[in-house]
Amino acid sequence: MAADDVITVENLSKEFVLGVRLKRVRAVVNASFTIKRGEIFGFVGPNGAGKTTTIRTLMGLIRPSSGRCTILGHPVPSRAARLQVGFLPEAPYFYDYLSARELLELCGRLFGMDPATRTRRANQLLAKVGLGEAADRPMRKYSKGMLQRAGLAQALINDPEVIVLDEPMSGLDPIGRKEVRDLISELAAAGKTVFFSTHILPDVEAICDRVAIISLGKVHDVGPVGTLLQARILGTDVVLDVPEERDHAALVPPGGKARRVGREVAFVLPPEVDVDAWLRSLEGVRVRQVSPRKESLEDLYVRVTHREGRA
Amino acid sequence: MIGSLGRMWAIAVNTFREAIRNKVLYGIGVMALVLIVVAVAIGNMSLHEEARVARDVSVAGVSFFGMITAVYLGVSMLYNEMQKKTIHTILAKPIERHEFVLGKYVGMAITLTILTVLFALALIGQLKFQQAELTPAIVKAIVLSYCEVLVVAAVAVFFSSFSSPFLSGIFTVLIWLIGRWTDELSDAAARASIRAFRVICAVALRLVPDMHLFSLSGGELDGKHVSVHGSFVTWGYVAQSAAYAVTWIMVLLLLAALIFRRRDFV
Repeated sequence: MAADDVITVENLSKEFVLGVRLKRVRAVVNASFTIKRGEIFGFVGPNGAGKTTTIRTLMGLIRPSSGRCTILGHPVPSRAARLQVGFLPEAPYFYDYLSARELLELCGRLFGMDPATRTRRANQLLAKVGLGEAADRPMRKYSKGMLQRAGLAQALINDPEVIVLDEPMSGLDPIGRKEVRDLISELAAAGKTVFFSTHILPDVEAICDRVAIISLGKVHDVGPVGTLLQARILGTDVVLDVPEERDHAALVPPGGKARRVGREVAFVLPPEVDVDAWLRSLEGVRVRQVSPRKESLEDLYVRVTHREGRA
Repeated sequence: MIGSLGRMWAIAVNTFREAIRNKVLYGIGVMALVLIVVAVAIGNMSLHEEARVARDVSVAGVSFFGMITAVYLGVSMLYNEMQKKTIHTILAKPIERHEFVLGKYVGMAITLTILTVLFALALIGQLKFQQAELTPAIVKAIVLSYCEVLVVAAVAVFFSSFSSPFLSGIFTVLIWLIGRWTDELSDAAARASIRAFRVICAVALRLVPDMHLFSLSGGELDGKHVSVHGSFVTWGYVAQSAAYAVTWIMVLLLLAALIFRRRDFV
């Protein structure tokens, strides 16, 4: 284990035995990855891929069938590991009879914080997540967004070195999502390590240093987003100005597609098409836009999940 | 050690807070108080035995409602944490699972203590109203009843560490009933001709806490009739029964903690 490894997951597998027929379900299969100090690490995968099982195992809520995890060098599960971590569960549901302030008070006590520190830290965090006004209201009266904010506040009560967030943007409106993204970036700027799962890919592309893609319990393609994406051109998008009386379907090269909106026709061309030659062959049209299409994180995600689905 | 106690206490305080903000508990409390008032009315219908009847009904009521509350809290408090997934937030904090189980139990015990004290105060008020004396026998009966309630809560916590509230409730009530009928069960086993029945009874009697020890009024102890209206048990007996209750509570909570330690919280 390198000195700057904050989270290590080594050959982690988890198999659940379900129902009276003792059906075995493999939720995570030999997952391995490492998260470095100060990184924002995205954990991406479709629903049921094994993201939450991996995260809950890391938090000591689920016992692995095999493999091991460490947090800051401490084995999981252990108190020493949890002392350094802040955790936001998926779709958090807190004690609805408590106010956000009381929740933070409770969490602070579990970290052994003294009363003055608990109060100071709770006030700071409630203001930071925008719950200052609603801090003393029972959480049963909170909206989903407010609950998510309360969840983020409790995850930060101990000023953790490592922050683990399970689907932190889920259920939030665009402003809420931006606020969470900003908060994650702010935490990373302060030297914290952030590990979060999501299936909202633009958020991952916007803020993550590295990602791991998980599908059907297997982790694929761990690395910086830029290096994971294939460098080759996946095709070309061309927009032409084509007189309305002219049949645009006749212009489409083999394997391509076209869609007309008024005078403009958008062509989606496969990579085999020689775009220069094709454009030279056209007469009576004007070129509006030519954009080579490279692989996006979404394409990579679809490629990995389809490949795994077929396997 | 101090840190561990602090974490358990944090869970206990939160459990107590949950209980006192729970409307169901107020319902049970109100029903118990209504019973004490009804006990006076029933007493007034008897011939010159007003205080005696009212005392009997009230003491039985304190025991019964204490048991209902213990079962309700025991089976719901731990299960709710898992079902509502609040446990994910808590167990991700630096608290050990056994500290969590013990904290939950201590919180329930605080709630049950306060409820028993309130019931007892209502009973004292009723006795004052009827100008009857608060005898040491009544205090001993309430203390024994309180011990029983704490054992029932531990039984409920044990079952809810691995089963649903419905099943936990049924199992707990079953254990309570068997525990209350230990004498009858021993007699039945002694008289039974079927060997399997005798074995089942013998096993049940060993595996189930003897709740009969906590509810002796009107029954016999060492061949002598005991009653809160006359000759009752000694304080030494109460202390022994309390020690018996503490032993059972410790065993049940230890088992609950061991089961809880191995659980996955998905």
